[in-house]
Amino acid sequence: MSQQTLADKVGVTRQTIFAIEKDKYSPSLEVAFKISNVFKTSLEDVFTYE
Amino acid sequence: MSMSYKEKSLIASLGATLLVFGWYFYQVFSNQMFNIGHEFTFNDIFRPIILIVVLEIIIQSFLAGKDKNKEDERDALIELTSYRNGYWVLSIGVWFLLIQLLYVGSGGWYDILENSSPAFISHLLLLFFVLAEVTNFITQLYHYRKGI
Repeated sequence: MSQQTLADKVGVTRQTIFAIEKDKYSPSLEVAFKISNVFKTSLEDVFTYE
Repeated sequence: MSMSYKEKSLIASLGATLLVFGWYFYQVFSNQMFNIGHEFTFNDIFRPIILIVVLEIIIQSFLAGKDKNKEDERDALIELTSYRNGYWVLSIGVWFLLIQLLYVGSGGWYDILENSSPAFISHLLLLFFVLAEVTNFITQLYHYRKGI
């Protein structure tokens, strides 16, 4: 899935998806849940807390 | 990573602000220090402000026509953080001017604004507004590049 497709499904910009991937931005809970919903998996499978 | 619409817009606004107000304040302060050229009055303040508004309209309409993305929570957070930094710069400037105004005419070493006209003090206030805006632009660019 491209960054733009994920961004469109979640409702953020492609730059925000890029920033999340590069660990330059921690998304809100709402966006984090939306991303995990897109991949049909749990939040813990997509995000980890360090 | 290529630059987003927001970054291009910020760089253009920063450049325009530095160019217009840099040139303007250079004239104002060189006039104040060396007493050359014409005396700057309060009405002169509106010239660079009108110029920057016109430039911003041109820049934003040019950029928006090519590539305009919607804003999201990251943009809002970066904007919030940057406005806070700009607020601190403006607060320091306004408090500095307020305290200085208390000592005008006292003749002490701390009387920096001695012999300054009200128009020059207005220009100093405008300078702190511009510095706050520049701080806002630079902080936003920093967070877009380095993360938040």
